[in-house]
Amino acid sequence: MNTWKIGIQNLKFKPLYTFLSVFILSLSIALLLGVQQLKMSFQYQMDNNLGEIDMVIGAKGSPLQLVLASVLHLDNPTGNILYKEAKEIGKNPMIKLAVPISYGDNFKGYRIVGTTQEFTAFYKAELQRGHFVKKTMEVVLGNLVSKKLNLNIGDTFLSSHGFVENDINIHHEEFTVVGILKPTQKVIDRLILTNLESVWDVHHHEEEEDHVTHHHKNEEHTKEITSLLLNFRNPSALLTLPRKINKQTNMQAVLPKYELDKLYEYTGVGFETISWIAYLILIISGMTIFISLYKMTKERAFDLALLRTYGASNFQLIKMVAYEGLTIGFFAFIVGFLLAKTGLYIMFTRFVKNRYLLSTLQELSYNDVLQTGSLIFVLVISSILLATYPIVKMNISTILSNEK
Amino acid sequence: MIQTDNLTFHYKKKEHTFSFPNIALKELENLLILGKSGIGKTTFLHLLAGLLTPSNGKIRIGNVNINSLSNNNLDAFRGQNIGLVFQKNHAVQSLSVFDNLQARLFFSKKTIPLTEINELLKQLDIYDCKNKKVNELSEGQLQRLNIALSVIHNPKVILADEPTSSLDDDNCNIVIQLLKKQAEKTKANLIVITHDQRIKSFFQNSITL
Repeated sequence: MNTWKIGIQNLKFKPLYTFLSVFILSLSIALLLGVQQLKMSFQYQMDNNLGEIDMVIGAKGSPLQLVLASVLHLDNPTGNILYKEAKEIGKNPMIKLAVPISYGDNFKGYRIVGTTQEFTAFYKAELQRGHFVKKTMEVVLGNLVSKKLNLNIGDTFLSSHGFVENDINIHHEEFTVVGILKPTQKVIDRLILTNLESVWDVHHHEEEEDHVTHHHKNEEHTKEITSLLLNFRNPSALLTLPRKINKQTNMQAVLPKYELDKLYEYTGVGFETISWIAYLILIISGMTIFISLYKMTKERAFDLALLRTYGASNFQLIKMVAYEGLTIGFFAFIVGFLLAKTGLYIMFTRFVKNRYLLSTLQELSYNDVLQTGSLIFVLVISSILLATYPIVKMNISTILSNEK
Repeated sequence: MIQTDNLTFHYKKKEHTFSFPNIALKELENLLILGKSGIGKTTFLHLLAGLLTPSNGKIRIGNVNINSLSNNNLDAFRGQNIGLVFQKNHAVQSLSVFDNLQARLFFSKKTIPLTEINELLKQLDIYDCKNKKVNELSEGQLQRLNIALSVIHNPKVILADEPTSSLDDDNCNIVIQLLKKQAEKTKANLIVITHDQRIKSFFQNSITL
């Protein structure tokens, strides 16, 4: 027999009470961990999808739209620019890497990007199997695409026009898979890469049949691309180049990091609010622990006084209540951690039904979990200290003579 | 062996000072302290148990002046040398009969062989409910558990506060005899505080407050 065993017996003696304390605390821990994980995943996506793209040049329009379309591959492009003009800009000595991209098609919702092999350099993506695009109508698949669509080297498919999967606007040229990239956790994982000529060819063909679609022309001087992605040799280019391009050409130059930071500032408010709500819930559940421990020490005043007559010191009694509080906290943390893990997974698979989002979910780092853990620990310790205050002030004689 | 010297206790709330007669008990001597309600019987008992600090005077148990002990030492001393029996029976609710005795021994830092614990439980006729929780016991069983709790650690002094006031004559006799027997067995002084005149005949020494 020792204080630890008595503490455990006390918890077992009131199972419903104990269960509720653990349950409430674990819910708020789960909420806190979940919000942290979502926030971190979002930030990670924002930070990493940029790869090493310092600047985007595209048709005039919304800068954010250009970034969303050409860097994150989420929105529609602002329009097209002349390949010839874009190439001229790429010759600037301050620019290390200039990669053109051209859009037009998708396959089952995954975008087909016409570009050069240098595109992979932005994301440090390497081949897992096969080889890079050598001829027209060959494609290299991002890792996620090959997994989700179950495509392998040698497989062929027909693309459909635009960015949304449909059966009406299907092109007649077949693409052939020649390579698959290693996973990068970046946006390139969900892209299908081909060369610029493939996109031009498909749409040139299209125009002969239907004049309403995009205005690609196959003549060398009127060839168009969607945008040009740049990596600077020298950071001072950030200051001079965008202004120059915006002023002197009919194209716009956008710094994606700047645009995304702005966007993040807006969405960040939402995350911030949820975080605060989670902290608030945590404080409330901390109070719940305090109240249950406090109530316990009050209700068991006679028990505690009795233990004092058995020779227990104040410190031993506090230790006993502390063990009870810590046990509740410990189990709540384990349950909360598991709830956060399964909860987010279920949320993404059942309700959001977005596999891509699930794959972007970052695991919380050991440090983040530890941080939340120590926060809970501090909370539990302070509840214990507050709740055990009556023990210190206990007057054994009064309690024992006011026998109930 | 226990003796007191000019004990007084001042109640701040009631602005009242109690003075208590000197007592001196040798080994194996028992004492009955009689008195009406409100005369300070329980206060006297709590002073003897070190649960209250006297305003004046000294209490010696064995060779120790218990009022010179620090709080922690007093806790330890009380745990090892004093057994208390209360008017209303009480034990730790969340523990079984056996675990209550184990907890009692743990806090008084004493080890008693399992056979002796079982022996005591058999003597008090509560061996069968050894593993029952306290709230599953009958009133009589609970009273016997309290006696077990007050003697299991072989104390020097057993202090009983109105142990018989809620009992009928038969049970009153049984309880007093059990207390006397256990005190004798552990060579402890038994001091009973009561207003119950029925038990006068069981004690050779008695004082009235």
